[in-house]
Amino acid sequence: MATPGKTYKRLRNIVLAWLTLVVLGGFLLDIPRINILEHTARNLYFHVPMWFTMMAAFFVSAWHSARYLSSRDRVRDVRALEAARVGAVFGILGLATGIVWARFTWYVGQGIWWNFDPKQTMAAVQLLIYGAYFTLRASVEEPEKRARIAAVYNLFAAACVPFLLYVLPRQMESLHPGAEGNPAFSDITHPIMRVVFYAAVIGFIGLFWVLYTQRVRLAALNERADDIPEP
Amino acid sequence: MTIHAIQEADTTYGATPYDSVWTSQEVPVQQPDALERTMLAQDKLYVVLAVVLIIWIGLAAFVYRTDRKIDRLERKLDARISDEDASP
Repeated sequence: MATPGKTYKRLRNIVLAWLTLVVLGGFLLDIPRINILEHTARNLYFHVPMWFTMMAAFFVSAWHSARYLSSRDRVRDVRALEAARVGAVFGILGLATGIVWARFTWYVGQGIWWNFDPKQTMAAVQLLIYGAYFTLRASVEEPEKRARIAAVYNLFAAACVPFLLYVLPRQMESLHPGAEGNPAFSDITHPIMRVVFYAAVIGFIGLFWVLYTQRVRLAALNERADDIPEP
Repeated sequence: MTIHAIQEADTTYGATPYDSVWTSQEVPVQQPDALERTMLAQDKLYVVLAVVLIIWIGLAAFVYRTDRKIDRLERKLDARISDEDASP
């Protein structure tokens, strides 16, 4: 395997600088103050991109799983696994940040940390589905078989994403925009906030790419080390 | 902006089945405790701080785990390559 090229390093540096600017912009730019939201509206830049990044990661993972099934190339299996791993990390962070945001914004004075908001619940279910993916992988010994079964399951897990995160929560009453009775995101968001928000989404997806490629490179090195004959 | 907080929930429809606090019930509103007083200061800016810190700690933990994998690889390479050098 070649060492990472110039473009790779440049992209990585751009991602890190970009995210630094996003955090600065997220805290320093003026935003309209809305009752009970106040400054927590800034969480739009941090909580929501977690989910966008998770979905992008799961999409990448499903893509490589599909490619694995058609090519039986082991690299595809490694890529699918690492993308799903990083995606799950972002999903857990999305869940944790959402809990804190809701606790001190909508549930003030009630002390509720978890209120079975439809989107929150479905997101937790989605993460459990991916948890089963990792468990499934751990339970099959033979690499070929593991890769094949995991790829098929991964396609199922990815197919659940649009339904659990979009279709179902939008049918019910929820704190999230676009749900029953709530205006859609684009109707209620100030232009400057939208700029920072989209920048944050791009930045965090870039960060996913950095973390994911690191893991893939590491896995490739591990395989090369395995090729060295054992003394 | 119509965000449905529990206090404002329309009680004419009764409780929603997925809600752990029945909307038809009187919701007991407590006095803000110490944690809430801290988090709600500065127009709730500390909530944003908490969210960013959670993300930072989570990502740092992930990087830490990657680092441990690199450690393991280094040990594996050390074991295999040094033995190879010694053999001829």
